[in-house]
Amino acid sequence: MQHVVVFAEQRQGQTRKVTFELVSEARKLADRLGGKACAVVLGAGGAELAAQLEGYPLDVIYVTEDRDVDAFVLDPIVDYVEAAVRLAGPSLILIPNTLSGRDVAGRLSARLRAGIVADVVEVRVEDDGAVVCVSPKLGGALTTQCALLPAEHGIVTIRPSAFAVTPSAGNAQVVALAKPAKSYAAAIERDVEEGAGELALEEAPVVVAGGRGLGGPEPFEALLKPLARVLGGAVGASRAAADAGWVPYNLQIGQTGKTVTPKLYVAVGISGAIQHKVGMRASGTIVAINKDAAAPIGEFSDLLVIGDAFRIVPELTKLIETAKG
Amino acid sequence: MKIVVTVKLVPDPSAEKKIDPQTKRLVRTGVETVLNPYDEYALEAGLTLKERAGAQGRVTVFSMAPESLKETLRKALAMGADDAVLLADPALEGSDVWATAYAVAAALRKLDFDLLIVGGLTDDSSTGAVPGALAEHLGLPCITNARKIDAVDGALEVERETDAGYQTVRTPLPALLTTALTFGEPRYASLKGIMGAKKKTIATTALADLALELPVGAAGSKTQLRSFAPPAPRGKGRAVEAADGAAGARTIFEFLREKKLV
Ligand SMILES: Cc1cc2nc3c(=O)[nH]c(=O)nc-3n(C[C@H](O)[C@H](O)[C@H](O)COP(=O)(O)OP(=O)(O)OC[C@H]3O[C@@H](n4cnc5c(N)ncnc54)[C@H](O)[C@@H]3O)c2cc1C
Ligand SMILES: Nc1ncnc2c1ncn2[C@@H]1O[C@H](COP(=O)(O)O)[C@@H](O)[C@H]1O
Repeated sequence: MQHVVVFAEQRQGQTRKVTFELVSEARKLADRLGGKACAVVLGAGGAELAAQLEGYPLDVIYVTEDRDVDAFVLDPIVDYVEAAVRLAGPSLILIPNTLSGRDVAGRLSARLRAGIVADVVEVRVEDDGAVVCVSPKLGGALTTQCALLPAEHGIVTIRPSAFAVTPSAGNAQVVALAKPAKSYAAAIERDVEEGAGELALEEAPVVVAGGRGLGGPEPFEALLKPLARVLGGAVGASRAAADAGWVPYNLQIGQTGKTVTPKLYVAVGISGAIQHKVGMRASGTIVAINKDAAAPIGEFSDLLVIGDAFRIVPELTKLIETAKG
Repeated sequence: MKIVVTVKLVPDPSAEKKIDPQTKRLVRTGVETVLNPYDEYALEAGLTLKERAGAQGRVTVFSMAPESLKETLRKALAMGADDAVLLADPALEGSDVWATAYAVAAALRKLDFDLLIVGGLTDDSSTGAVPGALAEHLGLPCITNARKIDAVDGALEVERETDAGYQTVRTPLPALLTTALTFGEPRYASLKGIMGAKKKTIATTALADLALELPVGAAGSKTQLRSFAPPAPRGKGRAVEAADGAAGARTIFEFLREKKLV
């Protein structure tokens, strides 16, 4: 592990914020390891995506615009990232800990015979060259320090919003990746975006999340969206709300949904089950609105207001709006 | 359709978890062991597809776990799986993602299946990396987060969740799937199922049966837990009863002001 290679995840031709966080961190790690900082940019509009990384101090950007990347499930991505890593040489590979990032990481681990540390919030290179990763485990009940043992390659999946974005002038060499001589089986027939154009949940500085207490889909639109808007944030949900079909699954926060670490988390009508808690407990400030004074969410909220969300939320939205002028 | 479902046996997710300071491994004694909740959804998917396949359908559950946990698999048999295979060997202790996927893949190669269904995530280690690694070792197409699965002309039509929405995907068999929780709630074991499970077989295999080239267990792992500690405690905050909507809103507004969040 000498160089650092970032899988630059994108969504509909837009580089995701987590990618900027990873390339910012990659520079620091590469300097500690004495190697190059690289990124792999894949899919339609690849050249443009590479240009979006211009303001970051990378040494090499590997690119392909191969349409297969968007036409087949995962296989082309894994092939291209593997190809880039083989071109770069022995590498520490940084991958966003998102649904697709997790898949890519697992597959690369088998291919490259590389160790993998998941859901990491801090990476350290020790003086002896060991790479040590800090990650919350067992639903955040413990913070672990896990080392990648010395090997050719190592893989780390990184929690979105764990690292700061620090742009600085870059002068990267852009290298086109050759098309692998392979054919793929798992074809994507339809790719549907839900809630497109809205602020991605993992990247939002404020999250206003709703649960079963909201009773249906309408309050998400009528109550939570306006509050999220005045706070400059995004709307999220508990599993109960997603399971009921009130919001799309990609808004679910928790163990089996997204992990978020906004500056402010507002939980509305959410009881605070352990599986929900693990997805939001690292938020800066937590405010809960719940009818039930004994709801578990009170145990880890900075402020619990006991009362009816249907009455409180509209008033709160008005207060903030007025204060903003 | 012959289906294999992998299940991990994990400490009860609602119980408090501890790591042994000496061995740096999860303490698995003194707490009840259960099927990893996520894997129950994978099993539900397997059982649903089996039912649709009629007489051709068959579900085998597979787990890598200590021999002492063998009977925990009985629950999967009670839910409707036909039989179970347990890979148990003291030399597997301390396996990380790499070593787990390598050993499990070798054991799965001995089984005959059209479809392998893997859980999306474990409750204890939560890497979500094992499914992808298994697909690579076994050379199978890998479709994750399936919420709807239909067998059509020897292929699968799958609706899968993505970070941004969903996709419809077609894959030939054999293939590996992971299920999303939206596939549907796992069924309960019926009394008849529980009685019937007593007669079903749980076969055990050991490492000697697999003739692995590379080491597994702690010796074959590529990561090492150095230390761990509970995170800084998050103090219990204030709780305020709201007299009415306006009062509740004001309490929150003032609190956000104080914290410079508005
Ligand atoms: C394998 C597995 C994985 C899971 N993964 C997740 C996950 O990723 N994310 C997740 O969130 N959950 C997950 N869960 C589910 C979790 O255990 C809880 O069931 C879920 O979080 C509950 O959602 P809730 O808080 O919205 O609903 P409830 O627990 O029903 O809580 C609703 C709350 O709303 C309050 N309320 C009602 N009306 C009002 C009102 N008018 N004003 C104010 N408050 C009101 C009630 O007092 C109550 O506290 C998982 C479960 C399993 C088994
Ligand atoms: N020891 C094991 N035995 C059987 N299946 C496993 C084991 N470890 C992981 N898996 C499977 O891989 C999935 C993802 O695990 P993980 O990558 O550890 O989060 C689980 O839901 C299981 O289906």
